[in-house]
Amino acid sequence: MQLTLAIHPISEIRFDSKTRLNGATLCVSKEELRRLALEDSSFEGVDFEIARPGESCRAGPVFDIVEPRAKAPGGSPDWPGILGAPETAGVGTTHVLQGAAVTLLREQSTGDSRGAVGYVLEMSGAPAENCPYASLNHLITIPHTPPGLPEHSRLRAYRVAQLKIAVYLARAALDATPTRTEILDVAGANGEDRVGLPRVAYVGQIFSRQRKPQLDEPILYGTDTEGMLPVVLHPNEWLDGAVAPSYHCSLGGAETYFYQNNPVIMELYRRHQTQELNFAGTVATIASANNFDRERNCRFAANLVKWALKADAAILTKFGGGVPHTDLSETARLLEGAGVKTAVQVTDLARDRRVESALLFNFPEVNAIVCIGGNSTSWKVPRVERVIAANSGLAEVLAGPFELESLNAVGVANQQGASRLRAMVY
Amino acid sequence: MRIIHYLNQFFGGLGGEEQAGAPLEAREGAVGPGKLLEQLFGGDAKVVTTLICGDNYAVENQEAMLADALEKIRAAKADLFVAGPCFQAGRYGMAAGALCSAVQSKLSIPVITAMADENPGADLYREFLYIVDSGANAARMRDVLMIMANLARRIMSKAPIGSPKEEGYLTRGLIRDQFVEKTAGERLVDMVLAKVKGELFESEMVPTAFAPVPMPPSVKDLTKAKIMLITDGGLVPKGNPDKIQGSVATRWGSYRIDGCDDLKGEDYEISHGGYDPQFVRQDPDRLVPLDVMRQLEKEGVIGKLYDEFLSTSGLANPLSNTRRMGREMAAKAKQLGIDAIILTST
Repeated sequence: MQLTLAIHPISEIRFDSKTRLNGATLCVSKEELRRLALEDSSFEGVDFEIARPGESCRAGPVFDIVEPRAKAPGGSPDWPGILGAPETAGVGTTHVLQGAAVTLLREQSTGDSRGAVGYVLEMSGAPAENCPYASLNHLITIPHTPPGLPEHSRLRAYRVAQLKIAVYLARAALDATPTRTEILDVAGANGEDRVGLPRVAYVGQIFSRQRKPQLDEPILYGTDTEGMLPVVLHPNEWLDGAVAPSYHCSLGGAETYFYQNNPVIMELYRRHQTQELNFAGTVATIASANNFDRERNCRFAANLVKWALKADAAILTKFGGGVPHTDLSETARLLEGAGVKTAVQVTDLARDRRVESALLFNFPEVNAIVCIGGNSTSWKVPRVERVIAANSGLAEVLAGPFELESLNAVGVANQQGASRLRAMVY
Repeated sequence: MRIIHYLNQFFGGLGGEEQAGAPLEAREGAVGPGKLLEQLFGGDAKVVTTLICGDNYAVENQEAMLADALEKIRAAKADLFVAGPCFQAGRYGMAAGALCSAVQSKLSIPVITAMADENPGADLYREFLYIVDSGANAARMRDVLMIMANLARRIMSKAPIGSPKEEGYLTRGLIRDQFVEKTAGERLVDMVLAKVKGELFESEMVPTAFAPVPMPPSVKDLTKAKIMLITDGGLVPKGNPDKIQGSVATRWGSYRIDGCDDLKGEDYEISHGGYDPQFVRQDPDRLVPLDVMRQLEKEGVIGKLYDEFLSTSGLANPLSNTRRMGREMAAKAKQLGIDAIILTST
């Protein structure tokens, strides 16, 4: 399966009467996008703002961040299972507006463990230096829905509108010549020149069943993971619209942008191309709600890696908070038992900053651990010149100055492999 | 720079084990390794006072020794307190750790000490102090003092302190955040490649091994046993009277169930953010099995169910919290003469 990324670098977004690509400038017609969003009667209105790198600007609470990408005709569809039939993603050419993002805001504080501010996009200052999203040009999309709308309908409307807008913008590039192209393919992994290279697989959790997904919540090809078993995906499927993050704010650390640019998959591809490894493929899985499912799912996942992908090594990442550590580590333990070497990524759970509380597992063989910190990093963020929020109440909450925890700064403690945060043992 | 240096009877030149009972004494100026320390610090560094104490005296009279030493250190207006190096000498290490810890917290004076990883003083105080890894061999005195001087300078100037390996101190078992050049994705691929090729790799986190909990003796006669129910599933009476936090709980509560045979959803709520609570909300007996316990009580299978159940919320809780709460609960159960406890989790 071959996916060609046609890259169009974007250095500026500007409002215009017509949506078009003008060199590295993305011209955006608010009217066209508004019409597109309002096709869904859930919306009373929608506003747009532009947030630029380095600007004294803060936006939030962030619902999701999406890179504008559109499929060229002839390949797989845009967002199969959400915007169309669940055909296999990851085939053909995808035009990418690299450097741009469509960032949709929530209308309410989620009020759960992420606190009143939710996820905050900070475009300048210390948090921005460490945030992979702060260097992007954001088209901030601010939805307005009626208060009586059921929550699952509101969230569904957010997701669909945001993806439609992102696709619409990138379609402006379909006829433009890309600055460069990138071909993503694992074919040839069995070639003679590659004999002896380790076969490395990726096992990524895409949801934690400790939460119930919302009705209609699209996570894998538009489905909500109910009854899901671990499944083999081609790496291109992750990058090209098969997977979306959960609405659940408490299960943080994943945005659509880093499914499209999945850092583990992209790094495995890079090392595949430099002949350091054979990228054996991926398994998408979930963290289970109970021990019975856990036993079963972890074994299925490990067996797929061992027997279907025939991997020598595997990288495992989790989705959400504490419970998923269990599925992650148990799968890794089973893999190690089957002779597959593992490296796992965890988040730091030690609220008291003690090593003894950091991990929720203790398997001697699961000993290659990347640990995203975050529990002792926060920034006193100042008042900014511009706060972008869905209403004046939220704007006030976000106005600053306030203490911004790293876990609330969207992207900083990302769990898809994008974070530069590291917990150091000392 | 005014330094106070602590030595045991051996390094202080009083003598060997026969002098281990010697009480704390203060001498003006540097003694023994202190002279080398002064040289290595260079500049205006002066060991103004050397405190010398016998190992047995220091450990057996720790409180008096600490009080006496703190008074002397305060009076000397020290800029830095140095203890040891203690190498593998256990009592020396424990005294040095206790002193450094007290000077740091009570006098806010920077401290530095050194001992071997296996020194019992290291385990007691590593979390609170930068303890330079001296190894066991006292012949390394000069090198160890050099590392101590370097690290002390950094501590005094409040410069960022590097990793244990870079700076030469014993791992404290603590975590701090750092932003690094490589993304987590790159680090994962680096690590798994090294591992599969059998090369060295450095895990960013280390599992903690815990001492095994011995199996308690079985209940001799269940028909006479007093049983208690404890849960960490966050079940609390409506209104959450003890304000038990739904995450990182620092409190636990004890709630009456006498005269009650069946817990009703409408009387309780769940303070726990880590699981889907709908089924417990429907019927709290699913978490705290009062109904079956009452039945067993009636049938005479168990002696008596204790009149209260204990509850807290077990989510994202550091061990320092849970250990304390566990001890408090155990003390209560013991005091009440409880014979057995059923713990239910989620």
